[in-house]
Amino acid sequence: MSLTSLQLIGLVAVGVFLYYTVCRKYQWQLLLVLSYIYYLASGAKNIIFIITTTVVTYLAAVFIEKSEQKNKKKILIAALFVDFGILAVLKYTNFAIDIINNISGGNISFVNLLLPLGISFYTFQSTGYILDVYWKRTPAEKNIFKLALFVSYFPQIMQGPISRFNSLSDELFKKHTAKFEEIEKALVLILYGLFKKMIIADNAAMYVNTIFNKYEQFDGLVIVGVLAYSLQLYGDFSGGIDVVRGISELFGVRLVENFKQPYFAKSITDFWHRWHITLGTWMKDYVFYPVTLSKWMGRFQKFAKRKFGKKLGRSLPICIANIIVFIVVGIWHGAACKYIVYGLYNGIIIGFSGIMADRYRAAKKKLNINDKSKGFVLFQIIRTFILVNISWLFDMSADVKQAFIMFKNMFTKFDWTPLFDGSIFADNPGYISYMDIQFIAIAIGIIVVFIISVLKEKKVDVAQKVISLPWQVRGLIYLAVIFMLPMIGMPPDSVGGFIYAQF
Amino acid sequence: MDKLIEILEEICPDADYETCETLIDDGILDSFAILSIVSEIQDEFDVTITPAEIIPENFNSAGALWSMIERLKEA
Repeated sequence: MSLTSLQLIGLVAVGVFLYYTVCRKYQWQLLLVLSYIYYLASGAKNIIFIITTTVVTYLAAVFIEKSEQKNKKKILIAALFVDFGILAVLKYTNFAIDIINNISGGNISFVNLLLPLGISFYTFQSTGYILDVYWKRTPAEKNIFKLALFVSYFPQIMQGPISRFNSLSDELFKKHTAKFEEIEKALVLILYGLFKKMIIADNAAMYVNTIFNKYEQFDGLVIVGVLAYSLQLYGDFSGGIDVVRGISELFGVRLVENFKQPYFAKSITDFWHRWHITLGTWMKDYVFYPVTLSKWMGRFQKFAKRKFGKKLGRSLPICIANIIVFIVVGIWHGAACKYIVYGLYNGIIIGFSGIMADRYRAAKKKLNINDKSKGFVLFQIIRTFILVNISWLFDMSADVKQAFIMFKNMFTKFDWTPLFDGSIFADNPGYISYMDIQFIAIAIGIIVVFIISVLKEKKVDVAQKVISLPWQVRGLIYLAVIFMLPMIGMPPDSVGGFIYAQF
Repeated sequence: MDKLIEILEEICPDADYETCETLIDDGILDSFAILSIVSEIQDEFDVTITPAEIIPENFNSAGALWSMIERLKEA
């Protein structure tokens, strides 16, 4: 059941009606039922995995809270082993077989495993909760059905965000009353999400797929392909998250933000504070800090301080932990070597920036650079955008070799003729007649999203502004978007799925 | 406290540690700076800081950091 399917619209419509009327005394219970209906409709066989994770997480948290200190760690390790074990077996078995075959020259057959919906998201959310209980940041939930809702809450299980128990539980379990203004704001958010997905992402996808699939033929179009992928990925993922947050807000449940104008980031570190924010926060709290503060890393830090001096010795273990985190981020994105390289690329840049921070500061002072000046901020934004786009090459290419070839072509080949004479879509004549509309669609999309992003960067509540307009004006806006979506938002061969729904 | 301010100013000199109470909330200290501060505090004050202590409430101001150090010293 995709985010844009009629079944989901039906489920949400019926759900919202029941939620504020006959079931208003049993709101969270209704959300649990809706979540399991959604999950069953998306693949009944996989229900066993989410139930196992829920039960293990529930029992682990309750026993961690009750146990003496010496047993807490054993329970924690056992629970993390089971929760991550399920994820590892289902998601990474074939990746491991592939590596073994490559190393040994063997021919072990791949296994046919179905990936349960949202397994990465609910596993990370569950393990984060167990660790929070272990660290006494949140009390253990005593009602297993409440915990089951936290794990399976249907809007966010599709593609995140990854929520914390102490923030999401407040939203899930308090009483909500229907407020027309809030519901309209939620619908505006959904509409904006669909706009980003259908107008920008789906139209950009046609270029991305053609250029990346035929990268040897269209070797002069790498820059176009990677910029199109930049648009596609942002429109798809942030658009999907807007739809998810909008659906959730129809039930009065506010989900944490997962995007904050990422292409306005001034550094790669800043980018990860703005892109898939909840994954970055999860990695920071549950991997980066524990790895850096582990005993073995502490010993290494002492050694490094003696060997390389205070500053470098202090920074080196942090850099190593950072690279480990980004390798995990890469593997989270997919079971392939290209994602490990993607993670390493980000980790090394951030680690290096950390080590060089003092020198940057000194250089800026020496050169009399005001780092708050518009010119310097623009330079930082463009520099970061280029670095991010290079990383997308590893994300979108079929393998590492293709990414490096395309990286080289990016700086050496610039033949854009296939774009202008239409030959880029020679194998798909249906696309050629669609190209003019498509340019207009993408251009409109970029302008609208850019203006809204600038306003949001200035802390303007855009949805509130929209719903404050006279009803005639906003009615026209809504109708224009609703008519625009199927007219220019459904390019030929568009599959309509969301990229991050496969996680 | 003076030694703590000295550490903070050495690692991240762009803040007024006497008055600022939003070091984390306003993004003045990033995770790299936090862990550098933790490393120096552990060495200087002979305390052990675990991941459980890395929460905004403990790092939002020099005062909050000092309270954490005193609490860990007593533990």
